[in-house]
Amino acid sequence: MKEIFDILKRELRNISKDSSLFLILLIAPVLYAFMYGSIYLNKGEEKVKLALIDEDGTVVSRLLTEQLNSTPMIEIIPSSNISEAQEKMYQGEVEGYFYIQKDLEKYILSQKQANVNLVLNASRFLPSSDLLSTVTKVCLTVGAGVRKTYFNKQGMNEDESMKMTNPINMDYRPLYNSSMTYGAFLLPGLLAIILQQTLLIGVAAGFTSEREEKKLRDLYEVSGFSISKMIFGKGILYFFVFMIFGLFFAVVNFSVFGVTIRGSFPDLTFITAIFIASVIILGMLIGSFFKSKLFAFQVLVFSSYPIFLVTGYSMPYQSLPRGIQVFSDLLPTSPFLKVYISIVQTGGTVLDNMGSVVHLLILLVALLLFLMLRIKYLVSKA
Amino acid sequence: MVREWKRIFSIPNFYVVLLVIPPIIFLFYGFIYQKQFARELPMAVWDEDRSSVSRTLTDMMEQNENIHFTNVVFSNAEIEKLMKEGKIFGAVHFPKNMESDAKKNHQSNITLYTNGAYLVPAKMIYKGAAEIIIKAGLAVVLQKAEKQGMPADKANTLVQPIKLNTTVLYNPEFNYQMYLTPGLVTVGLQMALIVASVLILNLEFKKNTIGSLLRISTSSSQIVIGKMLAHLCITWLLFILISFVVFPVFDLGKPQTDFSFFVLYTLLALACIGIGMMLSAISDNLLFVVDVALFFTSPAFVFSGFTFPRWAMPWYDQVYADIMPYTHFLDGFIKLYFMELPIGYAFPEMIRLCVFIGITFPVAVVVFQKKINQYLKNIQH
Repeated sequence: MKEIFDILKRELRNISKDSSLFLILLIAPVLYAFMYGSIYLNKGEEKVKLALIDEDGTVVSRLLTEQLNSTPMIEIIPSSNISEAQEKMYQGEVEGYFYIQKDLEKYILSQKQANVNLVLNASRFLPSSDLLSTVTKVCLTVGAGVRKTYFNKQGMNEDESMKMTNPINMDYRPLYNSSMTYGAFLLPGLLAIILQQTLLIGVAAGFTSEREEKKLRDLYEVSGFSISKMIFGKGILYFFVFMIFGLFFAVVNFSVFGVTIRGSFPDLTFITAIFIASVIILGMLIGSFFKSKLFAFQVLVFSSYPIFLVTGYSMPYQSLPRGIQVFSDLLPTSPFLKVYISIVQTGGTVLDNMGSVVHLLILLVALLLFLMLRIKYLVSKA
Repeated sequence: MVREWKRIFSIPNFYVVLLVIPPIIFLFYGFIYQKQFARELPMAVWDEDRSSVSRTLTDMMEQNENIHFTNVVFSNAEIEKLMKEGKIFGAVHFPKNMESDAKKNHQSNITLYTNGAYLVPAKMIYKGAAEIIIKAGLAVVLQKAEKQGMPADKANTLVQPIKLNTTVLYNPEFNYQMYLTPGLVTVGLQMALIVASVLILNLEFKKNTIGSLLRISTSSSQIVIGKMLAHLCITWLLFILISFVVFPVFDLGKPQTDFSFFVLYTLLALACIGIGMMLSAISDNLLFVVDVALFFTSPAFVFSGFTFPRWAMPWYDQVYADIMPYTHFLDGFIKLYFMELPIGYAFPEMIRLCVFIGITFPVAVVVFQKKINQYLKNIQH
């Protein structure tokens, strides 16, 4: 126990003397969490600009325009002709344009099908897909209004005409993110990734500096020649600090950014603890392969995006190529995010996700074994 | 310039970051999205109607490329449980007597559930299922109208009085590889350039090679320009890698945009090298400058507005996005590469990148000249 406490004190001294480690391990998590989180403060986008060319200029076309403009998603930018609207799209001023042809009202009144045209710039997915679904909904609603008016004219009462207009109604229920906003979806995962990346880079760089400054043998001696005490003593500080950060994110950041934890805190604490322990071990293992802390920092900068992208959070796991799935399975982040999202977003429990919990535990044990072997090798060489 | 090339190819802090990591991550980014779309997403069906209509609708949904029914359930609770276990991304419920209600002119509700905690699959399932459910509803209207003796063309018009024709430009199928890979590749590139260039000047002091550098020239502007040109040549090698290897491998190549992409790319490279050299001139603490580079480059992708539009961010995040060269590069890149517009459309973005270049290099020259003078003064004493 004394050896572990000595290593803990030694680690505390190391971090307090090393400004780069101090910055990445103690300042960056909070700074990043607020900085990245604030992007999604409004959760979703609103008022996506859509150019509109109304060549009909009638009551019906104006009604359609008003319906589009009254949705929170769309802001209509009037244009006099198609080339002007196109130019606005090319300049990035609008995300697409909506063209109402001449005689829209005339066609509808004479029971002929009227055409409207939507052109979208899909070089960015979110605005174009939001515009597409909103405009489709508005056109279907206006179309249903036309049908209802027709049935009313046929002598049907309100109730009958409504049933005839829409005999099969679709009741859409997006669970766990009822507004289907990008921010509500991304924020919990993003905060978890921030926690992971700062811990991974900090721990790896910290371990590399032991090698760089040729202190590994000294550390081994302080631990009473026990590799497990060495790992435990070095890791315990990071474990507690990052558990506190995890708690801080779950209480403060989630409340600031309006994220609700639907599951239980004990479940969340349990899975976060296993995850943090795994990342600490992984960080030490990665750090043991570098000889210079500076170089470790430079290389590990590139790990954030690839790790996030293969976890199945942004692109479903099923849609990743087999080779990437294998790589994803080797990272603690993938099973953790599955359980964490289930607990935070859907109100799931650890028991609902036993497969992923076991997966994470297996990774923890395997990484620990690899790290012990690696340290044994390094110490024998030191 | 030649001396700097030798340094780039001999110091791991340069050659690994500039020449080894980029090809690996660029190919990795392409490979992640090799399947291009999120398809065959697991979904459950809860069929209380058990009629030919509900079975037909289930079959039609199964035929949709986004949907794959993996579970049959019998309650709301089962749907929620499967979602909590991460086994399904969506579910559809056909109510009891749906078919007979439709025949009796009674309205019925088909409920579509999605797991909004996973936005991409939820949207894909909605897209696939909603289209079929809406069409089914309209088909019932059509049948009824025809039964009442309405001519077929009039009945068709009644079903869809306003026809929406949609043209989706630049990525009509919403292909993820086409959308994300070019963006991720270019953001990886700006990361590599800044993370390497923050060590261009200060590493000379750290490695005690400043003396040999000053024997070539004691003019800071000559040193900065020479080193900048050496790094620019390396970025052109990376351009060849991106445009003629990575993009063609993943069918992302657009030869007609190569020239305009090259011009914009060169400006981004200069802006990144400029930022790096400025930091390198200001601070001799190598770890600190790499920390700053890490802090500055990592958020570039999310702040650029590529996945979440900038106008939806709070104003202070929009300001922060503006001080990153990648934001302006991306705006121009979308116009030139994705939209294949003439180079003139990206002039505003190019001017903004020139502002970065116009500020950072002079600062680097002035600060580094002071350091050179100080160093020479110290030697003389």
